[in-house]
Order: sequence, then structure tokens, then C-alpha cells
Amino acid sequence: MELDKYQKIFIQESSKYLDELDTVLIRVEKNLQDQQLWGDIHGKIHSVKGMARALSMTDLATFCHAMESWCKSFQDGTKIPDERIVQLLFDGTDLLKAFVAGKGKISEPEDLERLRSISEDLAKAPEDLVDRAESEIRPSAAPGKIDRIRVDYALIESLLARSQEIMLLEKTLPPLTQDQISAGLGTWISHYISMLKGLYFQLAQLRLMPVQDFGELFRKTIRDLAKSYNRDVTLEIVGGEIEVDIGLMDRLREPFMHLLRNAVAHGIEPPDEREKSGKTREGKIVLEAERRGDQLILTISDDGRGLDREAISAYLKDKMGMSHEEMNALSNEKLLNIICRPDFSSVGETTQLAGRGIGMNVIAQSIEYLGGNMKIQSEPSKGIRFIISLPLSLSIIYAVLFRLGNYILAIPTSHVQAIENEDLKSSETVEQFCDLRSLLRMDAEGSGKGHIIRLRQSAKPHVPPPDNKGLGVAADAIIGNMPLMAIPLGELLAKTGLFAGVGIMENGDISLILDLEKIQTAVA
Amino acid sequence: MDIFIFEAAGHYIGIEAKYIYRIADNVMIVPVPLVPACYEGLIYYRGDLFDVIDMGRLMENETSTLHDDPYIILLKWDTGKLGLIPDRIVGMKWVEGNGGTLTVFNKKGDTANLMTPDEIWNKLAGLAYGT
Repeated sequence: MELDKYQKIFIQESSKYLDELDTVLIRVEKNLQDQQLWGDIHGKIHSVKGMARALSMTDLATFCHAMESWCKSFQDGTKIPDERIVQLLFDGTDLLKAFVAGKGKISEPEDLERLRSISEDLAKAPEDLVDRAESEIRPSAAPGKIDRIRVDYALIESLLARSQEIMLLEKTLPPLTQDQISAGLGTWISHYISMLKGLYFQLAQLRLMPVQDFGELFRKTIRDLAKSYNRDVTLEIVGGEIEVDIGLMDRLREPFMHLLRNAVAHGIEPPDEREKSGKTREGKIVLEAERRGDQLILTISDDGRGLDREAISAYLKDKMGMSHEEMNALSNEKLLNIICRPDFSSVGETTQLAGRGIGMNVIAQSIEYLGGNMKIQSEPSKGIRFIISLPLSLSIIYAVLFRLGNYILAIPTSHVQAIENEDLKSSETVEQFCDLRSLLRMDAEGSGKGHIIRLRQSAKPHVPPPDNKGLGVAADAIIGNMPLMAIPLGELLAKTGLFAGVGIMENGDISLILDLEKIQTAVA
Repeated sequence: MDIFIFEAAGHYIGIEAKYIYRIADNVMIVPVPLVPACYEGLIYYRGDLFDVIDMGRLMENETSTLHDDPYIILLKWDTGKLGLIPDRIVGMKWVEGNGGTLTVFNKKGDTANLMTPDEIWNKLAGLAYGT
């Protein structure tokens, strides 16, 4: 029983180190002489070795030791690493994962053969290593089911403290006479419910995963695909701090895997071809997340060759019998959306990695199933952008809450430039003033007094505003900057046309989250 | 079937009991702008957001009489959620079949109109919002 417990800890800890190892190996592949990175790799392999030894997993520890010896020589500069060595270490890491999954043993014949081959290579001096066979390229699968997320220690502490406080409430229930029961018990129950709401609010945060973590799941896969297709590709993640429900992210794994595979297989050109056309040798795939109203916008773009318009034209002519005139009459959007038809394929032949019939239509259907939609933008030789809009089923946002008349309203903090405690007329920094009272059909009383919330000009929080001027919104009183659980508007409130969602505060109170795009449109 | 009956603006309204999720009281209703007069606001109850409607205003544009401590009838059905503020809750009644009206037990022998949540919702959705 004890051994099982330690093996479970070993699997959890080693898996974490090995996932991190993939990330550092991707970095060192681009900076082969970075001794600090080699030190980092050395440290992670050493940690896995130490745990394996403690559990008497001799084979695993020996294998780690061989990898570790190489890393040490690159760390202290006594040997010079090259790409073949990094590939060998990637293969070694994959094998270690199989070791860990098998609790220190490998039983698959295929893995045994790889173990023998990699062990033989590791026994050589780095300079004696020959190129590994091309046949070892394997198709990359989508990352495994997302069943674990990182949780801030502070959140766990806070949850425990709140749970304890709720348990202690039992002791604070005062002895009540029959007459007092109604009022006294009511107050106590209100307090109890308020605590429970706070607990629920924090528990809900456990379901959230930063987009950065989601993107990182694909980094190794993209690297492997790029190697397979002789491409040089990097992944950039923008807006990675946005947190999204893990359930939604998990359902997006397969569609994203297909989009990324297509980007590497069909989009990004080989380095020489890119250089000839004036591009950098390294292609770039960008995963960008943005919250717009009650929608999560995820964009995957690449700077490759763009959509194969000839293949689209051939499809329209051969399969749909369209003439050139009819094709020319199609809008760009409709033309590009042709790739989402079930029988469309731009790949002439099926390879091990692409063209297997898992087409764009499956991706589009998956997005639709989640209540979202996908737009495609592409320009020849400039690349392609898939813009996916999804409903935010659950998310925690930070927002500035303020009171205006009887209403409690919220503006996402990322959209707030500043809050000024001054009269509108004296403010020279506000270019436009939004009279919310008028927009919300409120009485004019109090207009122009109190605070002005100055908004960023760009809806994207990571894009700095071009100047200090922007749109100003008047508030009677500022409640504070606090986390809100954002939930979508119901059908009725959506008809009002000015709100992006409903925010639930930690104490269970409700606020209305303003849709700033609609507000700006209304002002304009 | 069991019918839950309440009174609003002089009407008796019956709703099949299976749609009644809870009868809430002492819940603060948060006001919302740009909605019709019958739309009282929002409540967040046990993890769900409910639009709260004054049934008196919805039926006859008359204000409910029990605003000091209103009970809220929370409905949940397959396509929606709604909170209704009645003037008075009458109670439950068992009726056979799916008749459109039924007699309420009082001296006057009043009748109650049976409504489905979708009928109430459609009436609400037909009103003007955002103006």
C-alpha cells in the first residue's frame, strides 16, 4: 500500500518534470550553446533519476544517468551539442514517459527496441552520434485529455480558510427564544448563505485554465510536426492570461490539433522557400485569446502560404459545376468557407501525417457544437487566420464595479485606463464622454458628477492605447476592482443590447457587465 | 396533474407543478435598466440566474400588492428559467387531463387560466427591450 502511494507520487512528479523537459528542450534546440538551459535540463533529469533510485527502479535510473551525463558535459562546455543530440534527448524523454507510465518498466516490444537503440546511442560520445533514421518520424497525436490544472496555492489556502469559517459558524448560532428565532435565525442564515456563496465562487475558479497552459500543451507537438515536415516553426501565445473553463478547453483539443497540423503540413513553407520569398526562415503560428463581450475569441494564425485558392477553384468547378463568372461573384468569405465542406481536400495524397480525411468540416462542426462559429481569413503568401468565437460559459474576470443610480455596473479592468475623481468639464484627458444615464434611460440627476472611468481606446488589453485620450464613463460611486464570475446574458437581457454578461461577486451580489463595443458604437 | 395556482392582477393563474423549482423569499432583486416595466430584475439563486417578472404587470400592467416581502416563484423548464412575483399564492390543486381553465376553490368559484412557462416566456419576449 505504501509502495503504491509513493509510486503515485513518483508518477505525478516525474510527469511534471518530463513535460517541463520537453519545453526546455524546445528552447535549447534554438540556443544550443546556452549552458544555463543545459543546466536546467540536467537538473530535471537528475530529479527523475533520484526519485527512480528511491523506488529501486534501476533500469529507469540507469537510463536517466546516461542522459544526465551528456547534459552535464554540455552544461560545463566540455562537449559541443548539436541538433541530433537534442533529438536523441527528445526521444529519451519520450521513452522516460513510457517508463514512468509503466512504473519503471517497459513491456511494449516497440519500446524495448527503442530503449535498446537510444541506450546504444547514449553510450557513445556525442560526436560519434550518427543521424537517426528518418523512419522514426511518428504522427503526432493531440495532447491527452485535460484532467489536471494548476491551482494557485493562495486559492487553496483561501478555500480551506473559508470552509473552516463556515464550520465554525455552527458555534456562533446564538440561543434564541421563540420570539427571537425569526429575526436572529434569519440574520445567521443570511451570513451562512453569504459564506457558502463565497465558497462556491472560489470553487468555480478551480475549473478555470489559463489559455497559456492550453497553448503549451501543443508546443511539443508543433515542434515534432515541424521536424517531420522539415519546417522551422515557433508558437507564440498572446492573451495567455485569460482563464477559460477547462471543459471548453478540453473539447477544443482535437479541433486545435487539426488546425495546427494543417498549419505545419500545408501552411508554413520550408525554410529555404520562405527565405526566397523574403520571409524569415522560421515560420510562426500564433494562438491569440481575447474576451469580447460575452464571447471568447480564439485566433489561430500562421504566416505561411495561405489557402490554396487553385484547389478551391478546382473543387468549385469539378464538384459543384461552377463557372468562372459564378466563382468571381462569390464573396471572399464564402470562397474561403468552401474548405469547410465535407468532401473538400486540397491534399492530393494521404501521408502519414495529413490528408487522412479529417477535414475542416469536422473542425467547423466541433466549433458549432460548442455554440460557436469560425471565420477564415487568408491572403496568398501571407498566411491564414481562423477566428473562433465561443460563448464564455464560465470565466472569472477582474472588473471595476461602480454604482450609477440604482444600478451596479461593471467594466472589465483590462479596458480601464484610469479612474478620475473630477468633474467632466474640467477633464482634458477624455476625448469622448459617454452619457450612460441617457443610454440607460435614467433620470438626468447626478449626471457629470462623481467619477469618470476612462477607457482604453483599444479593446485588446495587450495593445497600448495610442494616446492618453479615450472614452469616459460617468459613475456615481466606485465600488472597487474585484473578481467577478462572468456568466452569459439570458435571452431577455441580451435584447437590451448594451450588456456583455452578468457578473456575480464573491458575496453573491449581481452586477451587469457593460459591452464596451456596443457602448462605443452607441456613443459614435 | 398537480397545478400550482397563484393570483396576479385579479387573475388566477395555474402552472403545472413540475415546472416549479422553488418558492424563494427574502431574496434581493437587482434592478436592470432598459427592460419593460414588468421586468423587476435579476436574482442569483443557488448557482442560477433568474429573470424576475411581476406577473401583475405582465398580465394587466398593474403593480403587485405584496412588494414588501415578495415571494418569488422560480420556474425551471427544459428551455428556460424564470422568477415570477405573484400577488398571492393560492396553493396546489390536482386536476385530471390538460384543460385550459380550472375552478379555484373559493366562494366565488373563480377559474384559473392554465399557462405553460413557454407561454409566459413568449409573452415576455414580445415586449420591447432596450428602449
